[in-house]
Amino acid sequence: MVMSKKWSTAIILVLLTALITACGSSSNKTTPSDNSGQQTETSAPKDGGNLIIGVGADPVILNPNYAGDRVSLTIDQSLYAPLFQVNNGKKTYYLADSLTASEDSMTYTLKLKSGLTWHDGQPLTADDVVFTINSILDEKQNSMFRGNLMIGGKPIEAKKIDDLTVEFKMPQAAPAFEATLVQLTPIPKHIFENEANIEKSTKNNTPVGSGPFKFKEYKTGEYVTLERFDNYFGGKPHLDSVTYRIAKDTNAANLALQNGELNINYVSPQDAPTIQGTGNFDLMPYSEGRLSYILINEKSDLGVLNKKEVRQALGYALNREELITAAYLSPEYADPAHSFLTPDTLFHTNDVATFDNDAAKAKELFQQAGVTKLRFVVKSGDKTQESIALYVQQKLKEVGVAVEIQSIDASALNSKVYGGTSTDFDLTVAGYIMGFDPDAYSILFTTDNSSNYSHYSNKQVDELFQKGAGEADAAKRGELYTQAQQLVAEDAAIYPIAYTKTIVAVDKRYGGVEEAVLKPVVIFEDLSKIYLK
Amino acid sequence: MRQLIVKRLAQTIPMLFFVSIVCFAMIKLAPGDPVMSFVTPNMHAEDIERIRHSLGLDQPAYVQYVQWLKQLLSGNLGYSLINHQPVLDQIIDRLPATAGLMACAIGLAVILAIPLGLVAGANRNRWSDKLINLVTYIGISVPLFWLAILLIYLFAIKLHWLPSMGMRTIGVNSAADVLKHGILPCFVLAFGFLAVYVRYIRSSTIGQLREEYVLIQKAFGSSRYTILFRHVLKHVLLPIITLLGMSMGDLVTGAIVTETVFTWPGIGSLGMTAVRGMDYPVLMGITLFSSVLLILGNLLADIAYSFADPRIKTMR
Repeated sequence: MVMSKKWSTAIILVLLTALITACGSSSNKTTPSDNSGQQTETSAPKDGGNLIIGVGADPVILNPNYAGDRVSLTIDQSLYAPLFQVNNGKKTYYLADSLTASEDSMTYTLKLKSGLTWHDGQPLTADDVVFTINSILDEKQNSMFRGNLMIGGKPIEAKKIDDLTVEFKMPQAAPAFEATLVQLTPIPKHIFENEANIEKSTKNNTPVGSGPFKFKEYKTGEYVTLERFDNYFGGKPHLDSVTYRIAKDTNAANLALQNGELNINYVSPQDAPTIQGTGNFDLMPYSEGRLSYILINEKSDLGVLNKKEVRQALGYALNREELITAAYLSPEYADPAHSFLTPDTLFHTNDVATFDNDAAKAKELFQQAGVTKLRFVVKSGDKTQESIALYVQQKLKEVGVAVEIQSIDASALNSKVYGGTSTDFDLTVAGYIMGFDPDAYSILFTTDNSSNYSHYSNKQVDELFQKGAGEADAAKRGELYTQAQQLVAEDAAIYPIAYTKTIVAVDKRYGGVEEAVLKPVVIFEDLSKIYLK
Repeated sequence: MRQLIVKRLAQTIPMLFFVSIVCFAMIKLAPGDPVMSFVTPNMHAEDIERIRHSLGLDQPAYVQYVQWLKQLLSGNLGYSLINHQPVLDQIIDRLPATAGLMACAIGLAVILAIPLGLVAGANRNRWSDKLINLVTYIGISVPLFWLAILLIYLFAIKLHWLPSMGMRTIGVNSAADVLKHGILPCFVLAFGFLAVYVRYIRSSTIGQLREEYVLIQKAFGSSRYTILFRHVLKHVLLPIITLLGMSMGDLVTGAIVTETVFTWPGIGSLGMTAVRGMDYPVLMGITLFSSVLLILGNLLADIAYSFADPRIKTMR
């Protein structure tokens, strides 16, 4: 009786699935609904329309001084105009008209465009820039970017020269300051100047920015809608409004994309063929300036991962191209990485030492060090991390090393890997986006620095980073960072896998994507250029 | 009756205190660090430590609990560690979406479960019973997120009858639009509840049909329909009241997975975000809210018992 019930349940399930699949295949012939992304033949820019962009969570805070999550940064990009942007080596000025550095890199002068206004019509001036810098530096205001404005333990100084000019004084030569300033976005002084705690201010719930779109409505858990800002200094945006629709479940987001309820969304390599198959979207893979790598914990209680020969052995056991295919399905979505600097970073070179494809050498080095087992922690449910770990497990088995894969939830993994004290794991998959100046990477590779999650230490590398940070001469800086890349690669401090790409699906009815410029983390640099065809 | 209510309400306070301690301990014992959920590689150590300090997370766990309790006693559920918004505001903001959805789902499940359970119980081991049993087995065994995805695929992607996500169409603010968005999540949740309710009602019906009053009604020549829906139904109501009382807690937290899949802006999806970020003030707030409703639900069920079956009141 019990068996028959189980069988009946199984049969019904199969029938249910078959019915739905049958409905699916039969309805393939139906025409898409009005909002499902039909192609139009005209492509001339026209004004009007709404764009719906899918985001994976609620924004944490709509204030660029405190936003660190991808969703807030994406929305802030449309709400708040930056001073300038650097994308793939190309600098574009937005609020700023120019930025000039003194020869000794001790003073930077920023000129603002004239006639700038905030969304509420108030003028945007040097006062706002100085206020923004000072509020970040104010410890009581608790901005997570304060450390970026401290150079050699001392704060930078921002001084208003006139309404359109700000002078930044460095406590010491700081050739990387431009890469710090590019991350800063002015916030309005007239809104926040009397706030004791800007982070917790209710004024963040109705943000007043200077970007192409102004705040209209936020329904928690549902969407954030912005509407066109007609006085945008870069010209009136084409679209009437932009809505960031929250879709927390990836499967549901993909279905919403197919149903035309989203016009733009990130897509994983695994889902790309399905979305492409609808014929309604252009898939755009683009570099995020991100390195994906295998993190090797030198603090591991195995006691051997601090030997570079063992770390090199890991590289010898693997084949980077195979690994990329296993993890990212296609080389189209990831470029093989050798250097810790990403290709968009100044002085990047991929011409550094690599340890690949030599199983015999790997076996010999592992045997010499007595390594027979390694623990690989991955974030549970993360298909890419799991694929990488499985590949490593298979390849290391061939050289006599057993890999135990430990799948743990994101919070536990973050605490274990990035907490800095765990000795009970050996390998994991990590990644970073650090910006275009190599100085930013010192936090990852210099001895005992806070984000040096591998616990790598090489005095020469420390020295090179230190010199690079204060070297005003670009050619000399280049030499220093090239040497640093060589040393880190020779030490096999990490196993760089790939400079990964992000895939964005864009509804074919929308144009101006090239002018809007695809940008790491925030999708588009300037959404004012997007239009409905 | 008044005595019962006062006594039960007085019991609520130590119960909630116990729930809060267990909940807090479980969050703190779980591996992970809330600060690490928003740390990025380019953040400096001093910034991370300052944030930890500002959130009070550098204090020992018991100090954090006492501080949270002090806030609670002054009517404040604290602030989210992630977005720094008041927890109470966030819960109240999202409560209508979840409560509305769950009330519809539970209501639909009860309306369908009563006749199905009665029919199944009265026709034990006949084809109608087997068919209803099959539906309940499917309801119990099928993961709701899977059913949700399947229904979205069918009704939104292929047939274009219903929206796949959210609670409303952007720019549209009508009750009809919300109802349209609620159909799929409501059905998915109702299907899960229905399976449980039908099983209870069926077994209760089988038990009741053996009672003497049923035999007497048969002897008087009452029709099957009259016996079932006039006499047996009254007795079968008791387990339903119990189930409904216990479902009160679900009004707040019962739809975590379904809300996430359908992007329904309720407390379930708020809770999911809080779990991922180890946002303990939000988790504590949701747990307490849910516990209060569960306790009140049970109290209401007890009161309803005395109306449904006056003998119970006498026994007390």
